[in-house]
Amino acid sequence: MSDLQIKNICKSYKLENKELKVLDDISISLNSGDFLTVLGPSGCGKSTLLRCICGMETPDKGQILIDGNPIAGIGPERLMVFQDFNQLFPWKTVEENIIFPLKFNNISKNKAELKEIAEEFMDIVHLKKFRNAYPNQLSGGMRQRAAIARSLALNPKVLLMDEPFGALDAQTRAILQKELLLLWKKFNTTIIFITHNVQEAIILGSKIMVLGLMPATVKIEQENTIPYPRMPETKEFMDLWKILYEQLETKRF
Amino acid sequence: MLTGKLITSVISCGRDRSLMLNNQRSEKIKSTATKVSFLVALFLLWEFLPTWTQSDKIIPPFHEVIKAFWVNLWTGDLLKHVGYSLELIFTGIAIGILLAFVLTALCIISKRFNDVMDVVISIMHPLPGIALLPVVMLLAGLGAKSIVIIIIHSILWPLIVNALAGFNSIPKIQTELGKNLGMKGLKLIWLVMIPNAFPYILSGIKIAWARSWRALVSAEMVFGASGMIGGLGWYIYKTRFFMDVSGMFAGLISVIIIGMVVDELVLKSIERNTVQKWGMSV
Repeated sequence: MSDLQIKNICKSYKLENKELKVLDDISISLNSGDFLTVLGPSGCGKSTLLRCICGMETPDKGQILIDGNPIAGIGPERLMVFQDFNQLFPWKTVEENIIFPLKFNNISKNKAELKEIAEEFMDIVHLKKFRNAYPNQLSGGMRQRAAIARSLALNPKVLLMDEPFGALDAQTRAILQKELLLLWKKFNTTIIFITHNVQEAIILGSKIMVLGLMPATVKIEQENTIPYPRMPETKEFMDLWKILYEQLETKRF
Repeated sequence: MLTGKLITSVISCGRDRSLMLNNQRSEKIKSTATKVSFLVALFLLWEFLPTWTQSDKIIPPFHEVIKAFWVNLWTGDLLKHVGYSLELIFTGIAIGILLAFVLTALCIISKRFNDVMDVVISIMHPLPGIALLPVVMLLAGLGAKSIVIIIIHSILWPLIVNALAGFNSIPKIQTELGKNLGMKGLKLIWLVMIPNAFPYILSGIKIAWARSWRALVSAEMVFGASGMIGGLGWYIYKTRFFMDVSGMFAGLISVIIIGMVVDELVLKSIERNTVQKWGMSV
């Protein structure tokens, strides 16, 4: 529940002594409670952008501000949810995976209280029955749900999602999209969600951004005013789909 | 019509399931039966072959070995040696694990120390403990101390090599996640990195357990047991010396039984309740 200002960030990598510019002068401005979906061809630097906001990478130039304050390194106020199913701790049950970060972030020391928080979030993502299951006993969709629940339980200022549903089947993906929208409405968290799926970007985002390829520059940034729940059959949905799809560069290197 | 189909499919599904369970169970029974009958055949062969070939002075029949094992066990002779062996082994393993922990930690903290350790490991790892015995005897004398040192040498390097392999194979996403969730420094190592490396650490400990017995028995056979009770290695050596062949086999059987019991009851059960349960098997 915070606003996020990204001002003119640039980032390049060194690749065999050549400078490879990944992000070129990207600026984003989000109000508290915005849900931004970022579209872009694969390899365009979407993930790098997210890693910069998270603090896993430092941009070469530019500023990232949360509620007006520059971010300081990596930390639980900007939480990342990855695409990888291996983002839970395999030696902890679903419940412990949620409680464990709460404990060392001093959210609470009281065991009963911690259990209560975990209970609430497991209930939201429909994993109550699986509280004592280990991640390897869960399906991919359940693991992503648990990871989202763990992140939200920490009440982050910004939730960063790097194609979290990218490796799921279409049906599970649709269910999780619905659940994520419910969670967003309930907690009003500021979310940045990366995807390469135009439909997903329209269904979820209150704002949509399209990035160009190598280096990534902002090609479109616009509000998405179609009322929720958004159905792909409607005319406004299809019109927006066309605009976004045309802007997505499909040619590769 | 449709319901009927559905019901039959549900029933056949249930039958498949019970069939599968039955198959699993019968496979397990078959597997155990095979193992047990192999052992019985082996014991029978051991019982009758020496008498038929008239070599029972060299290899006594199975029942004599069991008798010797039993008698020696209850007169306390064998137990004393077993106890002494276990004492040396557990001392060696405890010190070895502690040292491995410290050295691995230093390797993770300092890249330079890791470089030095690389050289030390490539020198020491292929060196059999027994080859070091003369040097150790000169330095540490003819006591239990030397044997413990040989045991430590035999287990320390595989422990470190395994632990380092474990730390190097931690998925990047797990450490990034730990940091993202607010962990730093020692907390990150203790709460995220060590559990991630645990499958490798455990397999290092399993290797260490097998290696420590080899080190103990062979060291004692070369070294003897002057001024002390001596462990199982010494017991086997001693019984051979006095042509107590049954006693010698009894000593061997003790080594096998202890090895199997610890492997099955301790190490495998740790594995089942951790690494296997978490789906982290290497």
